[in-house]
Amino acid sequence: MPSSTSSSESEPVILRRIPELRWPRVAIVALVLAAVGLGAWEAYWRVAQQYDASYRNSDGQWAEARQRIDAREANATVFIGSSRTLFDIDLDVWKEETGVHGIQLALEGSNPLPVLTDVANDDDFRGLLVVGITPPLLFLPGIGLRAGVLEHYYDETPSQWMSTRLSYPLETTFAYYNLDTKLFTVLARQAWWPDRHGLPFQQPEVRKLEEMRRDRQADLWERVETDPEFHAVVTGTWRAILENLPPPPPEDVARAQFQALLDQVAGDVAKIRARGGEVVFIRPPSSDFFRAFERKAVPRERVWAPVVGAAGAVGVHFEDYPALSDVRTPEWSHISAQDKARWTRALIGILQKVMVERGVHRPEIKT
Amino acid sequence: MLFNSLTFLVFFALVLALHNAPLPWKVKKTNLLLASYLFYAAWNPPFVILLWISTAVDWRVAKKIYAEDRPSRRRGWVAVSVLVNLGLLGYFKYGEFLLENWQVLMSAMGVTWTPPDWDIVLPVGISFYTFQTMAYSLDVYLRRAKPADSLLDFALFVTFFPQLVAGPIVRPTQLIPQFQKPVRASRDQLLWGLGLMTLGLFEKIVIADGALAPAADAVFGASKPVPFSDAWLGTLAFAGQIFSDFAGYSTVAIGVALCLGFSLPDNFRFPYAAIGFSDFWRRWHISLSTWLRDYLYIPLGGNRKGWHRTQVNLMVTMLLGGLWHGAAWTFVVWGGLHGFYLGVERFLQRQFGGAKIATTFGFKVFLGLLTYFLVNLTWVFFRAPDFPTAWTMTRTMLGFGVEGSELVLSTYLVAVVAAVTVGILVVHGFMRNRRLEQVVANAPWWLVGSVWAAMLFFILIAQGSGDAFIYFQF
Repeated sequence: MPSSTSSSESEPVILRRIPELRWPRVAIVALVLAAVGLGAWEAYWRVAQQYDASYRNSDGQWAEARQRIDAREANATVFIGSSRTLFDIDLDVWKEETGVHGIQLALEGSNPLPVLTDVANDDDFRGLLVVGITPPLLFLPGIGLRAGVLEHYYDETPSQWMSTRLSYPLETTFAYYNLDTKLFTVLARQAWWPDRHGLPFQQPEVRKLEEMRRDRQADLWERVETDPEFHAVVTGTWRAILENLPPPPPEDVARAQFQALLDQVAGDVAKIRARGGEVVFIRPPSSDFFRAFERKAVPRERVWAPVVGAAGAVGVHFEDYPALSDVRTPEWSHISAQDKARWTRALIGILQKVMVERGVHRPEIKT
Repeated sequence: MLFNSLTFLVFFALVLALHNAPLPWKVKKTNLLLASYLFYAAWNPPFVILLWISTAVDWRVAKKIYAEDRPSRRRGWVAVSVLVNLGLLGYFKYGEFLLENWQVLMSAMGVTWTPPDWDIVLPVGISFYTFQTMAYSLDVYLRRAKPADSLLDFALFVTFFPQLVAGPIVRPTQLIPQFQKPVRASRDQLLWGLGLMTLGLFEKIVIADGALAPAADAVFGASKPVPFSDAWLGTLAFAGQIFSDFAGYSTVAIGVALCLGFSLPDNFRFPYAAIGFSDFWRRWHISLSTWLRDYLYIPLGGNRKGWHRTQVNLMVTMLLGGLWHGAAWTFVVWGGLHGFYLGVERFLQRQFGGAKIATTFGFKVFLGLLTYFLVNLTWVFFRAPDFPTAWTMTRTMLGFGVEGSELVLSTYLVAVVAAVTVGILVVHGFMRNRRLEQVVANAPWWLVGSVWAAMLFFILIAQGSGDAFIYFQF
């Protein structure tokens, strides 16, 4: 702290000195060079990396979709789940087949159960909730990768609301304006960094996988299918994550945790039904290494069946229906953009059939 | 509203356009006042009421003090200002902290008591604007200033948006006179102001959020103790992060004000080049340290009441300064450590201040590095979420390794933290006795333009995380 014996003086107005330079010239050089640099950066991502401008799948964008439940569409069809539900459901086909423009709330790398609870606690929701199950992700503590979305939705400031909307035109103009191409994200993933001896496994960054629209319709990015190198990066990421999962808790703890999970699901589904809503569960397809892992670590009879059973809900598992299995999952976990329309159409047909069999009638699905 | 948000860019462009429109000065000031309320309301609209309370109370109190000659009445009125401002601060910022500590105290005395849930949102920047407003009444009370003639000018002083939520904490005599006559930025002021805004945003978006925050977050959020190397790297990362975050905010604030034709004082002067702690506090958060000096340390007696009393005054000031930053004992310890350092420095200066070695370049470099080392130890308490983490980190950094430690930083993060830390130290060392304006004025115009372009480019490609400034929570 500055030492002083007394301060009876008031602080005077400080007039800031302006460096004497030819400022218009300086500013023009700055703007031109920055524009040239940005143009080169944009060209690099568009040409060399095949990126297109696309919505960023921000928390604000998710909040915008979530607000549709509150604002206008209490009887909507809402999708929650992880990236499989996000990428595999075709909202256009859904609307074409059912007349309902679904609200896509699925989140990549995330556990849908906290969102299930959130929707269950929202008295405004009285529609159909489609819960996509990716079994390993059910055991994430909290939401997982997109942990901040609910907080953002509930605490969104007017400034954040506005920034999200101001960002949209930029997102759909600049290919470089993407979470996957942020400077420090790009730097961190470079291969030139040597491994640090003694550093435990660190989860690799999941690369860009989708092209997204404003209503959160997301298609698996074409490059994942067409670029063998990029395809190898994505499958390598899945392999690294699955091979380095933390060990499960002791058997008795795991059993208690799973029972709590089932109780939560049952309670949430009951709340929605009590308001006149309905919940159905779907299990989108996976293949190859991913599917083999899931069969071993989270087998259907030990996870999927108890969850659907606890909910007492309709459950559609892709393994039971050839029309849901007969699709390409190029990187083992998500349906090819070219197959998703067919898959969604098949899913709707099967849901209609199963719901009729179970005596569940919903206006949203026109059984 | 965050400076590093698209909303602010649009907001600022509109404010700038209105401020340069051919309108009467009173209308322009009214525009600035309304814009300032909008700036604050964009975070949480109802809390604008707090600004109105602070404005109304201190406007009235200062008039009463000025018109009153009886000391007891004057004291009474100034007490109203202090109670209202500190009351707001206490209720919103320290309410939960006080309840928790009361519960602990009761528990120690064998009384079981559960405090009610304290679900109160902390109004952003409340510590800044309550101190700034309080300074107005205190200055009038201390006869350093007269009350403002115009309520509009005073309301604008309380809410002036560039520095409303994170400083610099401006004195009434520094700002209110600037509202009295029409001002508009000259072309050069406007461009230099935009340059300062770019510099501040570069510090925040590129250095603080992009380069350093990931390492600091990884180390201080680690689930296991970290080894010596990572403990130091995490702390160095935080040292750079908090400087770049806070100095970045102040630089943007100064730049924004300058674009509108107003001058705000410096809040930072390359603090990591400080030689000793008195020097550090002349360079770090200058507007707070001078506020504490003028309204707390000196009223306590400053250094006029003998050696021991000076030490006590210093320590009290720094402890409260620590508590100002946050309602947690870790912040009090942070302040206490600085108070201790200042006390030891004064003792050493008294004992050895005249020694010849103290004036040599090598010794100054040594003292500068020692200061930086000790400042880093204090940052541990500032950043750590709790005492156990802080103790573990401190022990590790002092070489008393903790069993079961685990690395958390990748080679990439190690390289980034090392490079940026060295960069910060070199820049601060070079700028120690220089001013930015002087260095820029002496540089070729094309170089200044190129550096400006580079900062702009890196801001755009770093994209930003939209994270709030750290000091908003204070």
